[in-house]
Amino acid sequence: MVTPIYIIAIALGIAFSLGFFSKGSKGIASSLFYLALTALTAIAGQWLIAFLTGDQSTVEVFTSGFKPPFSISLQMGFEEAVLLSMINIAGLLGAVYLFDQFKKYGAHLMITYLLLIMGLDVIVMTRDLFNLFVFLEIASIAMAGMALITNEGKSVQAGFKYLTATAIISAFFLIGIIFAYNFGDSLYINELLMSEGILKAGMVVSFLIIMPLILELKPFPANGWGLDMYQATHPAVGALLSGASVTASAYVLYKLAPLGGEIGYQVIAILGLITFLGSNLAGLKQSHTRRMLGYSSIAQTGLVMIVIGLQPMLGEMTLWIAFSILITNFLAKSGLFWLAGIINKDELKSWGILRKHPILLFLFVMFVIALSGLPPFPAFFGKWELIMALANSGNAWWIGLILLGSLIEAVYLFRWVGYGIKDKSFDFSINCSTYKTIPIYIMGAGLIAFVGYYLNHYFGDVVWYFIPLAFAALMFILDFLPAKLKNIIAIIGMGGYAYYMYDHFLGVDNLRFFFALIFIVGGILTLIPGFTKSGKRLGFYPAALLMFSGLGMLISATDLLQFFIAWEIMTIGSYLLIIRGKNSIKHAFSYMLFSLGGAFTMLAGFAFAQSGNPGIGLEVLSNMNYLPGLAAALIAIGFMTKTASLGLHIWLPGAHAEAESDVSPMVSAILLKAGVFGIILLFIGIGAEAATNHPLTYTLGWLGALTALIGNLGAAFQEDAKRLLAWSSIGQLGYILFAFSIMTHLGWLAGLTYTANHAAFKAILFLGIGGVVFRTKTHNMYEMGGLIKKMPLTFITVLFAIITLAGIPPLSGFAGKWLFYNAVIMKEWYLQGTIVFFAGIIAFLYSFRILYAVFLGHLKDKHRKIKEAPIWYLIPQFLLMGFIMLFSMQPELILRPFGDMISAYFPTDALTWDNGTALTSLGYWNGFRVGVIIFILFGILFGWLFLTSRKVKKIKSFNIVYAGEAPERPETTHMAHNLFAGYNKALGFLVAPGITNIWKWIDESTHDLGDFIRRIYTGNAQTYLVHIVAYTVIVFMLINFSI
Amino acid sequence: MIKKLTFLALIAGFGYMLWTGLAKYNAAESLNRISSYYAQDGLEEVGAANLVTAVVVTYRGLDTLGEVSILFLTASILGFFLVSGKGPKIPLQDSSEILKTASKLLEPIILLFGIYVFINGHLTPGGGFQGGAILASALILAYLANPKEGINKSIFRITESISGVVFILIGILGIVLAGGFLDNRIIPVGSIGDLISAGIIPIIYIFVGMKVGAELTSIVTNLKHSPKNNVE
Amino acid sequence: MMALEHITLIIGSSLILLGLWGLITQKNLIKIVISFTLVDAGIHILMISLGYLKNRTAPIVDGTIDNAVEQIVDPIPQAMVLTAIVIGLGITALMLSFVIRLAKDKNSLNVSNFKDLKW
Repeated sequence: MVTPIYIIAIALGIAFSLGFFSKGSKGIASSLFYLALTALTAIAGQWLIAFLTGDQSTVEVFTSGFKPPFSISLQMGFEEAVLLSMINIAGLLGAVYLFDQFKKYGAHLMITYLLLIMGLDVIVMTRDLFNLFVFLEIASIAMAGMALITNEGKSVQAGFKYLTATAIISAFFLIGIIFAYNFGDSLYINELLMSEGILKAGMVVSFLIIMPLILELKPFPANGWGLDMYQATHPAVGALLSGASVTASAYVLYKLAPLGGEIGYQVIAILGLITFLGSNLAGLKQSHTRRMLGYSSIAQTGLVMIVIGLQPMLGEMTLWIAFSILITNFLAKSGLFWLAGIINKDELKSWGILRKHPILLFLFVMFVIALSGLPPFPAFFGKWELIMALANSGNAWWIGLILLGSLIEAVYLFRWVGYGIKDKSFDFSINCSTYKTIPIYIMGAGLIAFVGYYLNHYFGDVVWYFIPLAFAALMFILDFLPAKLKNIIAIIGMGGYAYYMYDHFLGVDNLRFFFALIFIVGGILTLIPGFTKSGKRLGFYPAALLMFSGLGMLISATDLLQFFIAWEIMTIGSYLLIIRGKNSIKHAFSYMLFSLGGAFTMLAGFAFAQSGNPGIGLEVLSNMNYLPGLAAALIAIGFMTKTASLGLHIWLPGAHAEAESDVSPMVSAILLKAGVFGIILLFIGIGAEAATNHPLTYTLGWLGALTALIGNLGAAFQEDAKRLLAWSSIGQLGYILFAFSIMTHLGWLAGLTYTANHAAFKAILFLGIGGVVFRTKTHNMYEMGGLIKKMPLTFITVLFAIITLAGIPPLSGFAGKWLFYNAVIMKEWYLQGTIVFFAGIIAFLYSFRILYAVFLGHLKDKHRKIKEAPIWYLIPQFLLMGFIMLFSMQPELILRPFGDMISAYFPTDALTWDNGTALTSLGYWNGFRVGVIIFILFGILFGWLFLTSRKVKKIKSFNIVYAGEAPERPETTHMAHNLFAGYNKALGFLVAPGITNIWKWIDESTHDLGDFIRRIYTGNAQTYLVHIVAYTVIVFMLINFSI
Repeated sequence: MIKKLTFLALIAGFGYMLWTGLAKYNAAESLNRISSYYAQDGLEEVGAANLVTAVVVTYRGLDTLGEVSILFLTASILGFFLVSGKGPKIPLQDSSEILKTASKLLEPIILLFGIYVFINGHLTPGGGFQGGAILASALILAYLANPKEGINKSIFRITESISGVVFILIGILGIVLAGGFLDNRIIPVGSIGDLISAGIIPIIYIFVGMKVGAELTSIVTNLKHSPKNNVE
Repeated sequence: MMALEHITLIIGSSLILLGLWGLITQKNLIKIVISFTLVDAGIHILMISLGYLKNRTAPIVDGTIDNAVEQIVDPIPQAMVLTAIVIGLGITALMLSFVIRLAKDKNSLNVSNFKDLKW
């Protein structure tokens, strides 16, 4: 093994000898320079490998041949090896990225850079307090020097602020060192940590050691100097700051934190929390990319501080959690800063240029997702462990605040992603030099490798669980293939997955099998219209498969962690799908925020639920000990953001309506059912007995009823056909929520029936209308009309779907309604039942409207040459119609297995069957008989109409004359425009955007708060010095007078 | 006014903080464990009469290496920073006759004194840094006396580099021949008080002296350097 | 009668506080740098004072010393001060060079004129 002292010797030796080459022989100089960095990386890597593979134990390296405390010693343990590898890799790749700058500035810059990396290395290794001070100074001076690469006013100012700030921080540290030496009689950290003298000397000693280290980490709000560095210096310097420098400083804090004792840990954790929240808030309004990344970096550091501060509680998990967060931040931030350097524009919107560079775009999105702490990236696992541990020790408030901070961070990160994926306003091009892209690729590959490592670590025994995810990943690789081929591959893959589900769940767990059918078979059906697309359709298949694999994994999840990962993967996939729509940027953003907000509340709920349980299996939902009511409510809220229940519904209309034609049925008919599945799991956990008078199910019942009313009402007033359908989904999901909340056998039977029906008819409707939109190129119903003659097949399927939706006999919608009223009456929820009944009437309004406005009436002039919807749209519709017909004519075939599933949870008051007739204590219904009668009646009436209508004179649209005047708003001449003006006058207030306004207010006031907070960063170097002094003094006083 | 008062309160608070530490201070009666070890065994182990030097160069040699690096670092940063700045060229004035004459007289004496200080660093107060600073003052004096003549920077750069590399090599020799990096016992320690004693310390100090002298000179001359647009 | 180490401790602390005061009130960049050196000097004095032992001499073992352990002051703070001084020197030099550069940019030495980066 090469002793780590050679890290110093090589770095300094080569740095010193670079002086020989400052003119002329530049080639040798730069070869030596890169050689040195490679050697450093190799030494660190060699130790890391030794620790990972063998039983290498921690080594202490003595200098000058004497043992500590008499001389300075360095320590090389597993932690050090990991961190040194990170720092040196960052150093090496950063140097590659800075290739042109080294060429420009020559040996002097190389020396600065080399000493920076060496300084950070020694900071990690040294066990001597004063030596730590010396090398901290080297690192900060070198960093300030690096600021000068972009030799312009702003970066010089940033460098000056950084230099003065770190100088004063080190001065404080030096005072602390004198005190520590005087009272602790040693400079050897291992001895100082156990020194009694320091304890006796009072808090100030440990305070002056720990506080400067915290300040080095740029705690909010004493961090203006750090932010300026991120903003104004070369992006590669930002990468070093947030990758290497933070890593080293955080480790030093970890090393010395025991000095402060219990109070010290508490202070670190609280200051970390303030940093995490404050920094994210202040970043909210940021439009300068690198400054925003700076806020995010500092926030992540805050999170690491929290972890370090919670060490007494986290115990052995501390390092694992901290590493998970650090490594994600390290890989993702470096990559993002380097990308920022390639784009070389300040505005967030300019990232739209990445549309032209798909690989970079992919990496960009991946980095941001990783940074937001979403699975399957390491930071997620860190956060998960952190939150579970917090719940286990009863720290609910911490969980709330950490998740709040994470959500705020996601707000600005995903706004940025939106620009990156969609914004087209760029008017420049970028130059991707190989030496600049390669480091980014390596960081991206590293991140993916860590995903593999973490998945293996957590799920090594259930690898099969992630096969669908691997398939989605494969689609990323195959994305260069033509769309049609990819569609076939995707359908085959989904088919295989469907078989797997059939094999595993049919007969074993029919409830899960039922949802698997909706998710996977529904997925296959909605993929079919994809055959209409030509070209490559970049990004569609990976996103869709990501969503479907998430959905599938929800079904096979056996514990909370798997479930949550599946949930988030589904969310990410659907977000990427939704944002593909033409005008989706805003709606996808709000979808993501609601989804993440919901996911985080769910996470908190999961954490509470598993607290006090031996494991995290899904069965903990039935045995909640810690804050059980709150836990159930939080989990329910999480699921209800996906089902778009009242109050959480405002994202849905835009997201579903603006999505691409074949995406809308995916997200509306299929994706929403994930929330239903979740709610069912939660309700099963609560259990039938507890639920008879459970406040949660009672509340959800009301909420479901009101959602149904508002959703349907909203649908009735839409002019946009897809928005109408989207609002109708809100209403339908309200029914479903209500039905399950009844918590009886019949209630659940109704709920499952609604679920199956909605999946079928909403898919048909969105596909049908999608086909219409595909042909007419508009969403507005007043621009359609009379399409029955041009698109008769679509009309038929839509008609059937509408009849099902409206719950009119003979189709299966009626089955749902019939069961539903039976259940309501038996539960005696009359008031809620009335509301739902009323909502059902309103459903007729919009059902009529969509049929009438789109297919009946006059054909528009410009639509005279329109064709039937493409066959690929019709196939799934007819298949689904077949299902509806089957369900309608032979309800027993489907309802009986439903009943069997439910009986496991609700054995009493089940539906009984008598030769195809369903019986409850209240009445009976025979689907087949009703169907036959109605079809015969319909046939007779239709025949009569057909015969008589021949005499009617046909009016063509040309017969309408405007008397030479073009109306100002032509849509007003369409009968279907503002069809329900009267109702709108009477009931419109119910759907007035009250709830939207509340959310808007929350959004705006948070942004205003963030904007207010960031005003403390006046830009004046002196103000920042005041901040540092004030921060130190105030924290000292607070601790001093509270103990 | 309120601002000033707040600042005053801050400073007072800081003073209070220092006071809470200093109030606990009692002048020690005897050396602590580490320093009495240095006082007792250090003499034989290191062989330097000046115990501060023993601590600086040997026991805490890594600090000293860091210290040397900081000066080197500063010099390097100035090397690519101010030189490349933009701005009007400031005309240099001739210095006075007194300065010119006196510098000719003083320079050799100062140089000699500087060399004395670092060669005797292990015996008397002084050492590489102090001696180097004295050397630099002579060189800067020469520069100030004849600002127009300029200065041959490459000599300094090469001195810097050579001394630095030698320092590192001596350090590595410590690993190979003795107990560890920067161990001074790679050559016999000798008897305390002799000029040639204390192992490798005098040699290290000679190079440190040269290096510090060169670095300080180049820092000052770089600060004075008239701005040009010549990025190296 | 105040003991020697108390006097130096007071001087050192006062210098630190004075320097801090200068750092947060003085607008002139050069004065800010000078304030920093004051803080630094104060800390150095503090270091030396804390390493002082009553009635003892410098840690240089020449003919006048027969029992070093009983006669000399602690050499470690002195060694640390030496290092700290050099580091302070490096930082000061770098700060001054930044000041030169800043002054060249805006032809001003007032710290509040350099607020191009904020929020």
